[in-house]
Amino acid sequence: MNNTTQPKRSDEPVWWALFSAGGVCFAVVVPGAILALALLPAFGGISADNLSYPRISALLHDALWGLAGLAFIGSVICLPLFHAAHRIHHGLHDLKLGGGLLSKVLCYGSAAALSLLAIYLVS
Amino acid sequence: MSKTINIARYNPQTDSRPQLQAFQVESDNSTSVLDALLQVQQQDPSLGFRWSCRMAICGSCGVMVNGIPKLGCKTFLRDYPDELTVSALAHFNVEKDLIVDMQPFLTHLAAVKPYLINDDQSSQPHRQTPAQLAKYQQFANCINCGLCYSACPQFGLNPEFLGPAAITLAQRYNLDSRDAGKTARMPELNSKNGVWGCTFVGFCSEVCPKKVDPAAAVNQGKVASAGDFIISMFKP
Amino acid sequence: MNLKKPGSSKPEPGSYQPVMPRNWWLQHRYFQIYMLREATVLPLLFFIGCLLYGLYCLSLGETQWQHWLAFMAQPWVVLLNLLAFSASLFHAKTFFELFPRVMPLAPPGLMIAGQWLATLLVATGLVLLLGGWL
Ligand code: FES
Repeated sequence: MNNTTQPKRSDEPVWWALFSAGGVCFAVVVPGAILALALLPAFGGISADNLSYPRISALLHDALWGLAGLAFIGSVICLPLFHAAHRIHHGLHDLKLGGGLLSKVLCYGSAAALSLLAIYLVS
Repeated sequence: MSKTINIARYNPQTDSRPQLQAFQVESDNSTSVLDALLQVQQQDPSLGFRWSCRMAICGSCGVMVNGIPKLGCKTFLRDYPDELTVSALAHFNVEKDLIVDMQPFLTHLAAVKPYLINDDQSSQPHRQTPAQLAKYQQFANCINCGLCYSACPQFGLNPEFLGPAAITLAQRYNLDSRDAGKTARMPELNSKNGVWGCTFVGFCSEVCPKKVDPAAAVNQGKVASAGDFIISMFKP
Repeated sequence: MNLKKPGSSKPEPGSYQPVMPRNWWLQHRYFQIYMLREATVLPLLFFIGCLLYGLYCLSLGETQWQHWLAFMAQPWVVLLNLLAFSASLFHAKTFFELFPRVMPLAPPGLMIAGQWLATLLVATGLVLLLGGWL
């Protein structure tokens, strides 16, 4: 083999790490979050009193000095966003619709922007 | 019992694409797809296909059976109550009938330096414990049949992707306690056409006739490549 | 060795070069399930959108927060979140089964059971906390 030129190192480890972390959150934390915030309140399992403005505000901003809120945002919004971005980026390649630099910038860029927005909204 | 077998015929001199042709073959409980092809060749000697060992070890008889990559000698007509369609392995260029050009596959295999690399010149045998053997043994069972490449949509979409068998072979040697060639193999694996071309579809492991689980090897390769990435950040 | 570029635009003379159609994933059940797994992120994005909207409403004050609670109770929102919930469970199933193959740390069955236990514990914790039982 005259393979003297080495192929360029991919930056995928970064995105794959975020994808994996987000995948764990999507599998472990998100089901409970959907249950507690969307399904049970809608079907009457959780009363509106418990989701009142002061209570949720306090939980999000004050519990564990605000760390609980940040952990929740990180594991239910930010990391799953990067998980979704990764799958959409590669899914576009699967569908022969992209998968190049443009879809990469758009996918991970929006994940980053929305993550920052979420953190800004709780801080 | 007589059975209909449709074969994707392709003659490079006259055809622009493969066309199905139906043949009748005699089949009993032990008739393999390879046996059926040999019968068809008696009827039409121009049929081209590869085979050698007839016992699932040489890896040369790979074909698509009803769209799924299979070893012809390990696949039996009894498992196909209706008609069956045999065509050339997917994602490779067809040279004639069921014969494909395996060169891209062989090139990818060679690219990962699939042999023990060790400067140690001592005449002593390189001993290995059963535990050290167990680390890579499963990945050493590959017979290079290429079925996993025909099962892999990422290879179909991007022929530059190293692919399941080559990455598995790289893992096989990287995990071998007698080998010292990991640094020489990692650059290929670290590239976008290395382990990162995989999205864990997993069909490669489904079709593997030797239960090698190439998808596991490739994704363990991602962990190794990510580790290599972190180490590289701390090196000038 | 001559590195021939497979799949380059010029076909080899005298060989048939198959092209993968865009709908390749529809042609086999295994690939359909793969695409379904990849598509679980679409309902996930809807749920994340709901949460972002909720955070925004929360930052505006009590009236807007009440508005968000009403929004979340609308049938179409509940339906899509039901879809997101099923998607998260399907994703969990596939993810938990793949994990022991990527990192074989313990017997696969044990690892899979452990991960489902984690999901169950987190869900119980979140429900108890938000339901006011904790
Ligand atoms: S003929 Fe050797 S593997 Fe089938």
